[in-house]
Amino acid sequence: MGRVGKSGLLAMMLAATVALPATGAELRVGFSQDAQTLDPANHRNRETETIIRNMCDGILTRDAKMKVVPEIAESYTQVDAKTWDFKIRSGLKTHSGAPFTAADVAFSINRLTRDNAMGGQTSPRKSLLGPVTSAEVVDGSTVRLTMSAPWAILPAMLPFQEMVSEAHVKKVGDAAVATSVDCVGPYKLVEWRRGDAIIMARDPNYYGGAADIPPVGPAKPDRVIFKIIPENASRVAALLAGEVDIINELPASALKQVEASDKAKVMAVNGTRTFFLALNMAKKPFDDVRVRKALNHAIDRKLIIDRILAGRATALNGVMSPDAFAFNDALPEYKHDAVLAKKLLAEAGHPNGIELTIDTTGAFKQTAEAIAALMARAGIRAKVQVWEGAVLSPMWANAEKRAERDVYLISWGNGALDPSDIMVPTLRTKGRGNFAGYSNAKVDALLDAAETEVDQMKRAAMYKEAQAIVNADAPWVFLWLPQDLYGVSKRLKGWQPSADSRINLHDASVD
Amino acid sequence: MRIGRLIERIAGLVPVLLGVSVIVFLMITLTPGDPVEIMLGDSRSSPEQEAALRRDMGLDRPMVERFFLFLGNAVRGEFGLSFFHRRPVIDVIGERLPATIELTLVALVLSLVIAIPLGVLAAVKKNTWFDRIGTVGSLLGVSMPGFWFGILLILLFSVKLGWLPVAGRIGFSAEVPFVTGMLLIDTLLAGRLDSFVEAARHILLPALTLALPMAAILMRVTRSSMLEVLRADYVLFAEAKGLSRARVIGRHALKNALIPTVTVAALETGSLLGGNMIVETVFGWPGLGRLVVEAIFSRNYPIVQAAVLLYAVTYVLLNFIADLLYTALNPRIKL
Repeated sequence: MGRVGKSGLLAMMLAATVALPATGAELRVGFSQDAQTLDPANHRNRETETIIRNMCDGILTRDAKMKVVPEIAESYTQVDAKTWDFKIRSGLKTHSGAPFTAADVAFSINRLTRDNAMGGQTSPRKSLLGPVTSAEVVDGSTVRLTMSAPWAILPAMLPFQEMVSEAHVKKVGDAAVATSVDCVGPYKLVEWRRGDAIIMARDPNYYGGAADIPPVGPAKPDRVIFKIIPENASRVAALLAGEVDIINELPASALKQVEASDKAKVMAVNGTRTFFLALNMAKKPFDDVRVRKALNHAIDRKLIIDRILAGRATALNGVMSPDAFAFNDALPEYKHDAVLAKKLLAEAGHPNGIELTIDTTGAFKQTAEAIAALMARAGIRAKVQVWEGAVLSPMWANAEKRAERDVYLISWGNGALDPSDIMVPTLRTKGRGNFAGYSNAKVDALLDAAETEVDQMKRAAMYKEAQAIVNADAPWVFLWLPQDLYGVSKRLKGWQPSADSRINLHDASVD
Repeated sequence: MRIGRLIERIAGLVPVLLGVSVIVFLMITLTPGDPVEIMLGDSRSSPEQEAALRRDMGLDRPMVERFFLFLGNAVRGEFGLSFFHRRPVIDVIGERLPATIELTLVALVLSLVIAIPLGVLAAVKKNTWFDRIGTVGSLLGVSMPGFWFGILLILLFSVKLGWLPVAGRIGFSAEVPFVTGMLLIDTLLAGRLDSFVEAARHILLPALTLALPMAAILMRVTRSSMLEVLRADYVLFAEAKGLSRARVIGRHALKNALIPTVTVAALETGSLLGGNMIVETVFGWPGLGRLVVEAIFSRNYPIVQAAVLLYAVTYVLLNFIADLLYTALNPRIKL
């Protein structure tokens, strides 16, 4: 290349910015993770679901207040304790223009719930539909879901599943659904640049979305792009440079930087992850409820929320989010009181305090250290041990392996915002996430009964009672529910963050 | 080089790969952590679901059986399905590899372009202020964490000045026909100069971040070998013949001084592949490094096994290339 060529190229490279601001017709999301697959039935990953959700609708969805509303379905009714009917809209078309009917919905559900239904493989999402055994079309437009046992939270779990076109799956084959999409949804797939971006364009065939979530109609932007930027600092930089309009997982440390910018602002919503310290109840001294209560009193949750979480969390006295179904708002609070904590420890036979180790992962090291420092004021000598998440959780999930451990700083998600989704795994005897080894026959009985209770009032009462017992037993030190933080461009309109961490772009637009 | 010697070298690959296979299989399988547990996370599950996932991932079989299955498949170039992508590992890695190779090659060229002239100058101007600044600069280059330097570049060139993009390989409207998967080449093959420029702007910051530590090392190597050569008799003789200083350095000294530089560059290219992991994460570069890091954290055994084997093959090949270059530059040495 000659001298002129070289300098010309350099001029081109430095002239007009490539960091072009997203145009009015294009909305860009700086997203922390790429989709693992585009097959809605073949993953167990929240980020993947968020991306797919913009291309594939579900039978039901949730509005901004997390209320479950019909989406592809027009309406739904419970026929009996084990049967639900969903009336599917008529005139639906997929991205390719093919008709989409109740038969496609039944096919999608059966693909999720039947063993070996995906080319010999069983969907990893099967257990998200609990006891659902089959789906069948009962009249031209109604799909009937049959369950092996009553299951009250079916409507709360259905928004997690997106529907696919039967003809498309059969045409391309199950394996190829991983990279090709033909659903009913606001956007259709243009190009998936693996690890880099997923580019989607507005689907003119779209019916308009849930009637209960206005505005109803085609999506506003011509194109939306999920741009994958895994590193927090780079994602924030992309927002501040105007390259993207929304970023997820805004780190609390970047709040001030974003707030100070004239291009961007912070948006927040209560998340669905409950943080707690699981206390190993099989080990002394944590088998003594006085010690567990002392630990609850030793911690100043408000101080940690203000100083470390930038005020972006809600203190909890129990397991449930205030936004969830059957949240018990009358639970007594364990007030921060170091003197009371010491007194309780002395009563339990530990006048000189106790020693313990808090296990946690790198991401929560700072929080664990703050907790340890606060415990010191109450005579509790706490150390922090940092582990890799993939090692720590299986260790704590196993009663033998955790036998010598003390305390685990952990969180558990509750995307369904229903006690069944979080109390059963974390507090029922031998639950998958029952790291404390908590076992209370009364709580077990309440949780089991509520699981199949069809009357929602009665269900709520059972869960509230269970929350009160757990609060009194204190198997955990109850901590907080952090907000999910987003950085958004000031040009963005019509978008609200949602507690289930989905980024639905149907109604969003940029100036 | 004799053909026999070449075959010998290639045959030498076999035990290396076998050893690497055993080590990587054992290391990843014996590391605590369970891909099924990681996949299910804290969402609703059942023992039947866990069993189905274990079966579909092939994890229900005994470890020894899994090892021989892995080995048998690997010989045929098959690495099974990625646990999380549910697609063949070969496809998943193949999609990411061109981006990594492209980034590595550009970083290599950048580091040579920076290191060789600076190293030569530092040697010629030994013990002057230029040499001292060069020494301090190279020390900084080696010590600066790529992660931190990358973020600094982004803050300056993308956020503050708005000249270069933060992340990605090319703009969203560019459509480049796939030939090599390396966008700088594919855009040129397609005759799309505008897209080429766009791709070049995207690769500049990550390549620079990756190139800097390597340039620092190469500069030191070039400087010291140049100093050695400049003391050699034949240089003195060339100067005594009345040749200009520039000619002596450019024609006679440089070729010999570059031998160690080339060797180190070839070997360092292997470590560039490793360094990619951090740089690819910072710049959202959709390469292999990022994929491998994610795979390690999620215990995606098939991806990690295949990628480590690939790294091993690459490293051995680069060693071989270094030897070939060595003989080309110095005909007295025979393989």
